[in-house]
Amino acid sequence: MSPTSSVTIESFLKGILCLAVAMLVLLFPGLSGTQSNAASCLKIGLPEDPRTLNIWLASDRNSRNILSQIYQPLYTRDPDTLKLVPWLAEQEPVFDAETLSYTVRIKPSKWSDGSELTSEDVAFTGRVIKDFRVPRLASRWNFIKRIETPDKHTVRFYLKEPKAIFLSRTLTTPIVQKKEWIKIVEKARGTEKPLIKLLNHKIEKPVGSGPFILKEWRQGCYLFLQKNKYFFGTGRRISGRILGPYIDSIIFKIYGTSDAAILALKKGSIDMFWWRIQAGYLQDLKTQKDIQIFSNEKSGLYYIGFNVRKPPFNDVNLRRAVATLIDKDFIISRILQGLAIKMNSIVPPGNQFWYCPEVPRYAEGLNREERIKKAYEILRKAGYTWQLPPVNGQGKVVKGKGIRLPNGQPMEKFTILTPPADYDPLRAMAGMIIQEWLGMVGIPASAKPMAIGSLIQQVKGRRQFDSFILGYGRLDIDPDWVRNFFHSSNDKPRGWNMSGYKNPDFDRIAEESASILDREKRRKLIWEMQKMILQDVPYIPLYNPRLIEAVRKDKFSGWVGTLGGIGNIWSFCEVRLN
Amino acid sequence: MELWIYTSRRLVQIVIIFFVILTVLFLLFRLAPGDPVSRMVDPNLTPEDAQLLIEELGLDQPVWIQYFYYLKNFLTGHFGFSFHYGRPVVQIIGDRLPNTILLFTTSIILSALVGIFLGKIASWHKGEKTDTCLTVGALVTHTVFLPWLALIMIWVFAYKLGWFPITGMISEEVWLDPDAGLWPKSVDILHHMVLPLTTLFLIHFGSYLLIMRTSMLETLREDYILTARAKGLPEKVIRNHHAAPNAALPVVTSVGLSLAFSINGGALTETVFTWPGIGRELVFSVSHNDYPLAQASFLLIAAVVLVSNLVVDILYAYLDPRIRY
Amino acid sequence: MSGKSLDNRRVQKFHWMSRFLSGWAIFRQSFLGKIGLTLLALFALMALCSFIPPLVDPMYQPMAGVDPEISTVTGPSTRHWLGTDFMGRDLLSQLLAGARVAFMVGVSAAFMSVFLGTAIGMIAGYMGKFADTLLMRLADIIMVMPALVVLLMLAALFGQLSIWFIVFFIALFRWPGVSRVIRAQTLSLKHRPFIEAARVAGASHLRIIFRHITPNVLPLSFLYMTFQVTSAIIIEAALAFLGFGDPRTISWGMMLQWVWKTGHMFNAPYWLLPPGICISLITLSFYMLGRAMDEVLDPRLRKEGQTD
Repeated sequence: MSPTSSVTIESFLKGILCLAVAMLVLLFPGLSGTQSNAASCLKIGLPEDPRTLNIWLASDRNSRNILSQIYQPLYTRDPDTLKLVPWLAEQEPVFDAETLSYTVRIKPSKWSDGSELTSEDVAFTGRVIKDFRVPRLASRWNFIKRIETPDKHTVRFYLKEPKAIFLSRTLTTPIVQKKEWIKIVEKARGTEKPLIKLLNHKIEKPVGSGPFILKEWRQGCYLFLQKNKYFFGTGRRISGRILGPYIDSIIFKIYGTSDAAILALKKGSIDMFWWRIQAGYLQDLKTQKDIQIFSNEKSGLYYIGFNVRKPPFNDVNLRRAVATLIDKDFIISRILQGLAIKMNSIVPPGNQFWYCPEVPRYAEGLNREERIKKAYEILRKAGYTWQLPPVNGQGKVVKGKGIRLPNGQPMEKFTILTPPADYDPLRAMAGMIIQEWLGMVGIPASAKPMAIGSLIQQVKGRRQFDSFILGYGRLDIDPDWVRNFFHSSNDKPRGWNMSGYKNPDFDRIAEESASILDREKRRKLIWEMQKMILQDVPYIPLYNPRLIEAVRKDKFSGWVGTLGGIGNIWSFCEVRLN
Repeated sequence: MELWIYTSRRLVQIVIIFFVILTVLFLLFRLAPGDPVSRMVDPNLTPEDAQLLIEELGLDQPVWIQYFYYLKNFLTGHFGFSFHYGRPVVQIIGDRLPNTILLFTTSIILSALVGIFLGKIASWHKGEKTDTCLTVGALVTHTVFLPWLALIMIWVFAYKLGWFPITGMISEEVWLDPDAGLWPKSVDILHHMVLPLTTLFLIHFGSYLLIMRTSMLETLREDYILTARAKGLPEKVIRNHHAAPNAALPVVTSVGLSLAFSINGGALTETVFTWPGIGRELVFSVSHNDYPLAQASFLLIAAVVLVSNLVVDILYAYLDPRIRY
Repeated sequence: MSGKSLDNRRVQKFHWMSRFLSGWAIFRQSFLGKIGLTLLALFALMALCSFIPPLVDPMYQPMAGVDPEISTVTGPSTRHWLGTDFMGRDLLSQLLAGARVAFMVGVSAAFMSVFLGTAIGMIAGYMGKFADTLLMRLADIIMVMPALVVLLMLAALFGQLSIWFIVFFIALFRWPGVSRVIRAQTLSLKHRPFIEAARVAGASHLRIIFRHITPNVLPLSFLYMTFQVTSAIIIEAALAFLGFGDPRTISWGMMLQWVWKTGHMFNAPYWLLPPGICISLITLSFYMLGRAMDEVLDPRLRKEGQTD
C-alpha cells in the first residue's frame, strides 16, 4: 500500500484528544455559583451521596443527615437526659384520658420560604403518612383515628387505643410543609401506584423549618447548605442551650472512601467526618493536635440469632451452651479493638432508663477451658453425647468429636450466616471465631458470609437458616422494638421475629407494654421481657460498637455528644467559630 | 459497497447479541436471592410496609410480565426509576456518564499517543539499552495492580506532598464562587483529574508501547519499506511517514477494546478516586440490588463495547486497504 | 498404514524434541524470560514456605492464628518479620499463604480457560459451518461482558462466592480470546497436506483432532496460558480488594482489602506495600514469561496477548 494514502493515525488521535479537552467546556457548562462565606462555613465529609432529598424516600443515613437539618419534628430528645423536649411544639402534650386525645401547641415559627408553620402542616403530614402508608412511618401513625386543628397553633390527635409509642415515635416525626407538598400529593393520589409516585417525586429545594436550607446539590461532589434566617430556634433557649446556628453555611463533601475523608480531615479540608472512624485510623488521629475524638455510645445491638423453629437450635440448652462458649470480651478486644461495649441484655446499656442490668449472664469472666467445661456440663446434662467428649476422663479439655443430639441423632453441620466482608468485615470475622469455638466442643458450625440482601431474604423472607449474625446500628430509644422482635405474631415472612421465638408469657407482657402509658410501670414490663429473652436466648447479644467520630478543633467548637454521636441537631445549632 | 454489507451484517448481529445479553441480565437479577426491599434492615420497616413497596415496585408480578415491561421499557428508551435514588435511571446515567467519558477517553488517548511514540523509539533501537529500558518499564507499569497504584498515588502526591486533591472531581471553593468563570472551573477539574489520569496512563501506555513496538518491527520487514530504503530515503522519513502510520493500526484496535476495559477498570479507579462516574455507580447499584440502575448501566457498557468493536473493525477496514470483507 | 503412522509419529516426536530444545535455546537468551522465570521461582518458593510458619507456632496460622500478646497492628519485629495485622495475625504468614492462593487461582483458572478455549476453538475451526457460527457468536457475547463487572454482579447477587466459583467464572469469561486464536490456527491447519492425507487415509474426525491438530495448537495454548494466569490473578485480586472475594481464603487482594477497610492504609506501610508489590510482581513475571515464550514461538502470532 502506499503510505501517503493512509491517514496519519497519530494526528487522528491528537484530534480526539483535543475533542476530549473541548468536552470539558461542553459537558460542564458554567453554573452561576452561589455565595459561600468562607469565614464561618463548616465543612463536613460524607461517605456517600445522599440517596434523595425526598423525605419520604430517605431511608439511608446520608439523606437523613442532610434532611435532619431541614425538616423538624414536634419533639426531640435532650442530648443529656434523652428525655423528650418540645421542639416545634410549645410545651408538653396535654393528654385527655376520656377522649383518648393529645393536644399539642406549636411554637410560632416559620418555614424557610417565610410562610407561617401552622397546625395545618402538622395535620397534613400525618394524613400523608397515613393515606399513602409511607414505609417506616405508617406504623407510628396508623393508630391515630383523627387529627383536628382547633386553631392555627393547636393540633389534637385522637387515638384508637392507648399507645406507649405515641409520644416517643409519632410526635418525633419530621413535619413537612403543606404548601410544598399538596400538589405533589394530589397528583400522586390519582395514579395507579400512588406511593411510588410520591417517593419518586424529585425534590430539589426542600422547604423546611430547620436551622439550614439547601442551596445547591452537585451530585457526587458536594451539598451546600445555608443558614435559615427564619429558623424558630435562633436565640431561643431549649434544654438549657441557646440555639444558633452560629455558622453561616455548611458544605457536605462526598468522599466515597473513609481513607480519603480522613486524610482530608487531617489536612484540614474538612472540619468533621460524619461517619464512624475505624480503629485503624484512631491511633494516628489521636496524635494529631488539631483533631478531637468523640466516643459515644450507639443505640445498637449486634447479636447472633438462632432459628428456634427447628433442630438443633430448638433446644434451649444448646443455645445456652453456645452462649457459654462465646467469649464476648475476646470479640470486643480483638476484633473490635476494644471499641465496643459488651452487651448483656438486648437493650444497650447506654439507654439507661430501659436497660435491665439484672438479666441472666452466661460464663462471665471464664477462660476458654472453663467455658468448654461448663458448656460440656450443660450439654451432657441435656442428654447430648459424643464419640469423643471435649472433656476426657481426667477432666482435661480435648477436641470433641461426633456430637449427638439427645435423641441420638448426630448433630448435622449447620451454618452461621454473617454479612460479607465488604459490608462488615468485623461481623464476618466474629462468625469465623465463633465457628472455631463451637468446633472445639465438637459442635459442627461453619460461618458463611453472605451478601446482605440474600442473608436477610434467607433469614427474614424464607426463614431457612440455622443461625446468623446481624446488627442494628440505630435502634430507637423507645424499646418498643423488643416487643416487635420477639412477639410470636411477628413470626411471619418479612416479620421481625426472625428467630421464630414463641412464648405466650412473653407475648402477654409485651402486649401490655405497648399500651401502658405510665413510664415507670412500662419499664418494669420491659425489664421482665429482657430477662425472658436472656433466659431463652433466641438471640445472644454480643456487642454494641462505640461510635468514634473525629472533628477538627482549630476552627470550630461546641459539638454536642449524645447517644448516637455528635451528628445531631444540637451540635449544628451550637457549633461556632473559635 | 462491501463495507456496507459487512457493516449491516454486523449491526444485525449486534442487535441479536444485545438481545441475548438483555435477557440473560434480566434472568440473572430475578434469579438472585434478595430484592431491594429485603436489603433494608431497618427495624422500622414493617412487613406490611415491605409488602406495599414490593407491590408498588411491581416486583410481585409474574416474572414474564416483569420481563415484558422490562423489554417494553427498554425499547421505549425509558429505563424506569432507580429503586435507590427514586429518580429516572436515564437521568442518573446522564449525570455520571460524562465524567467517565472525560476521564477515560483522555487517559486512553494520552496513553495511546505516548505509547505510539515510545514504541516507535523502542523498535528503532531494538536490542539496545533504550529498547530494553522502555520494554521493561512498560511491562512493569502495565502489570502494577491498579487499585494499589492508585492508593500509593494518593498517599504520595495528594497526602504527603499535597500537590493534588485527595479524591473527587471538583472542589467546592471554586464552584461555589460566583466570580469563577469557565476557565478556573476547567482548571479545577483538570487539577482533580491529574492523579486518576496519571494512574490510568501508567497502566495503559505500556500495553500500547508494546503493541506499537511489535507492530513496527513487523512493518519494517514489509516489502514497501525495503523499497523505500532502496530508494535511499532518509531513515527518519521512512520511520515516521512510511512505517509508523501502518504500524499504529493495531493500536487503534487496542484503543477500541480499551474502551471496554476502561469500564472494567473504571469500577476500580472510580471507586478509589471517588470519581463520580458510571463504574462506581454500577458497583454501588449492584450491591444495593438497584435492578433498574444496574441493568441500565450494564447494558450501556455492553453497548459501548459492541459498538466500539464494530467501529474499530470498520475503521480498520477503512484505514488498511489490505483488509477487505 | 500402521507403519506409516508410526513413522509419522516418530517424525512428530523428533520434531517436538527439536522444537523444544531450539525453543529453550532462544528462551535462554531472552532477558525477559530469565527475569520472569527467576521471579516465578521465588514466588513458588514463597508458596512452598507458606507451610512452614504454622508448624513453628500455631499463632502463625495465617487465618485463625493470633499472637496471644498482640491485639493490634504492630510493625516488623523479630517475632513478626512483617508485623501483625489489626487483630494480631502474622503478616508474613499471610503473605506466604497469599502466594499459594495466587498460584492456585492463576494456574487453575488459566488451565480451565485455556482448556475450554482450545477445545472450543478446535471444534469451531474444524467443524465449521453451524457449530462455528454458534460458538463464535457465543464467544462474542462473552467477550463483550467485562469479566470483573460480571463477577462483581454475581458476587453481589449470590452472596460471597467461594474461591473455586471465582476461579471457574474467571475461566468461563476468559476462554473466548483463546478460542479465537486457536480457531484461526485450526482453520489454517485444516487444509494443510498432512491433514488432508490423514483424512484421505480414513482417519476419524476425533483422531484428526487429537492426533494431528492438537499437537500443533498446543504450544499456542500454552503461550496463552501464561497470559491467562496474569489476568486471573488480577481479577481475583480486584474482586477481593473490593470486598467480594472469598473470605475463607487469604489472598493478597484480601490483605489489601483488610488494610483498606480497617483503615490502616496510610499508617501501616509494612501492611500495605507487600501484598501490592507481590500482586504486581507475580503478574509481571508471568507476563514476561509469556512474552519470552511468544518470541520463541512466533513473533507474528502475537496480536492480542494483552491482558487486562
